[in-house]
Amino acid sequence: MTANSEPDGAVVVHPRGETLLAVSFTAMAGPCEVLLPPMDPHAALNIGTIAADEAWRIEKKYSRYRDDSVTAWIHRHRDTAIDVDQETASLIDFASQCFDLSGGLFDITSGVLRRAWTFDGSDRIPDPAAIDRLLPLVGFNKLQWRSPRLLLPAGMELDFGGIGKEYAVDRAYELLAARDPAPFLVNFGGDLRANRAPPHGPWQVGIERPDTDREATMLLDLKHGALATSGDSRRYVLKDGVRYGHILNPRTGWPVPGSPRSVTVAASSCTEAGLLSTVALLHGAGAGEFLEAQGVRYWLLQ
Amino acid sequence: MQLKPKATQPKSENARRRLIAASCALLGATAARSQQTNAAPADSGLLEDWSVDTALAYYHEDGRIMAIEPLVSLAKVFADGQAVNLNATFDSLSGSSPNGALTSHVAQTFASPSGKAKHAYTTAPGELPVDPHYQDTRIAVGGNWTVPLTRLDEVSVGAKLSDEHDFFSATVNASIAHDFNEKNTTVSFGINNEYDSLSPIGGAPVPGSDYALFEKTGGKTKNGVGALIGVTQVMTRNWLSEFNISVDRFKGYLNDPYKITSIIDGAGNTTGYEYESRPDQRTRRSAYWENRVAWNRQASTALSLRYMSDDWGVRSETAQLHVRWSFSHRDRYIEPTLRWYRQTAADFYTPFILNTVNPGGGYESADARLGPFHALTYGVKYAQKLPGLGGRADSEFSVRVEYYQQTFDERMAAPAALAGLDLYPGLKAFLVQVGWRF
Repeated sequence: MTANSEPDGAVVVHPRGETLLAVSFTAMAGPCEVLLPPMDPHAALNIGTIAADEAWRIEKKYSRYRDDSVTAWIHRHRDTAIDVDQETASLIDFASQCFDLSGGLFDITSGVLRRAWTFDGSDRIPDPAAIDRLLPLVGFNKLQWRSPRLLLPAGMELDFGGIGKEYAVDRAYELLAARDPAPFLVNFGGDLRANRAPPHGPWQVGIERPDTDREATMLLDLKHGALATSGDSRRYVLKDGVRYGHILNPRTGWPVPGSPRSVTVAASSCTEAGLLSTVALLHGAGAGEFLEAQGVRYWLLQ
Repeated sequence: MQLKPKATQPKSENARRRLIAASCALLGATAARSQQTNAAPADSGLLEDWSVDTALAYYHEDGRIMAIEPLVSLAKVFADGQAVNLNATFDSLSGSSPNGALTSHVAQTFASPSGKAKHAYTTAPGELPVDPHYQDTRIAVGGNWTVPLTRLDEVSVGAKLSDEHDFFSATVNASIAHDFNEKNTTVSFGINNEYDSLSPIGGAPVPGSDYALFEKTGGKTKNGVGALIGVTQVMTRNWLSEFNISVDRFKGYLNDPYKITSIIDGAGNTTGYEYESRPDQRTRRSAYWENRVAWNRQASTALSLRYMSDDWGVRSETAQLHVRWSFSHRDRYIEPTLRWYRQTAADFYTPFILNTVNPGGGYESADARLGPFHALTYGVKYAQKLPGLGGRADSEFSVRVEYYQQTFDERMAAPAALAGLDLYPGLKAFLVQVGWRF
């Protein structure tokens, strides 16, 4: 009997430790879960399903790999002025402000650089000339944007992957918070947000150690708020002892030297935490200093 | 004004404020709303955090009784894992109930159990004899309390009381469950004890006594004990299997005090009636296997099989299939149900007593519920989520409709004179239940 006919279709409730229920599913190419205090499993399943449906909705809408996504639709209409829907407009507005605030380090047009880079753990680093040819296609300031009207120049790409997962965490958080006063924690592949602590004390969150596989190296206590982690724990190129992480500086086309293996930031929303951790990584050796200046709680793994 | 190191503290604070403002703009007004929800979780009084299930059922047997049954159930799971469930049911039954006598070519007159003349009733020729004054109300309350003992062990105790004007029943139960294999396997063991007290109108008849003689005693009791052992196994992420076996044993006055059996002669004439006479012990064993499979996010099925046999000679098999189809982001579902049931007759089941063959004295009952029959139930349930009340998450409205059809399987050879009479009328019943959970 094969029970699962959809690759990402199942939402499963199971106990987690002695005092929690976990509702887990797969979305955005990773394990996702909603943690809850003990309750009727059907109620838990209902809550988890709301989060799963939202994750799947956002994944489907912004996936680079689907022909029917908004991303694909935008890419089919390059060099044409198009009006995007309200949610997409909000995301582009946000990306625009992040581009400004980060001095161009956070750029949703930097995805074209992936044509040169393959972060598969090998030692293949790209030909610098190839990167130089791609750089003219990178730069948020090169596209024309006046919400909701967008004009994406030929050859350029938009990639919502850099904020999509954190955005999905926040969206799922809001749907659950508006619905149920029970404590919960939404965790989509390590980016997470909680409304308040369960009865048995704060949520315990493990941060993965980059060079071992999925072994939590550090346990953090979280009562409420969000944590997001950026890093190269699994996506990197290793050449001559230099590790090139998957977050690229959009101005140079190269990973920033000396950057930490991973950066975890606590903030009030997951979107905010995710942006700060990504930008911190792009500050390379200055990541800690940058985060210090922001006045946020953070954890670096060198 | 950039998020960069070496910015002065006020500037970066300002930049962060802009980032927070940008995040809030992205996440929209819902963020503010949810913050409010977090700050002050609704505290709306007595039933806060309790799940409340209410239902009203209407049951109608074709040409016989009808029942209206309101039901309420309260459940709460506490933070430490303890769970409490309380429920109450009120039944109001009225209509006609078969008294066990055989359909006849002539009119039959019966005195109802009270023996008073005004309660006598007459059944027309060719009609199934039923007591048309059947009326009863029943109130039942129950509760269950589950306490985790250790991380892997859980005990549960419960009690149930049911009261009618001529019947009282009290049951207590206790069970223990142990999880192992990373909580993928649960083994449980439970026992229960039931005490019933019967006080039929006019007294409980002496089993097998002549109906005309009103040979009755006072109240009677019966007592049952049962035990169940079960295993629940998570087979895959989407497949749950449950198996259990149980045994129970009843002792005492096991007759239905209102059921009689026709005595007929070789020509098919009814010469009299006697009260049914069942053994005063019954031991039942049953095995049950259920598989629940979630095929995908829309569809799930539950298939269950039950086998039961008792020392009265009744063996039954039940197969039941539920298919649940969810749609509209799982806000609604529709669940068709098909149930098939078959039983063999009790050894002493007889639709009538031939006065030439059976001189009396042995066990006998014409109660159709002990006869050989099969039954099919077709049902469908529709449920829809609705907005919750007060601080509650949501509520669910449901409506269930079922149709039950019972058909007799074996027919005893009857005197030719009874030809043309429907001695085995079977039963058709209809149920509508409206439920609201909040």
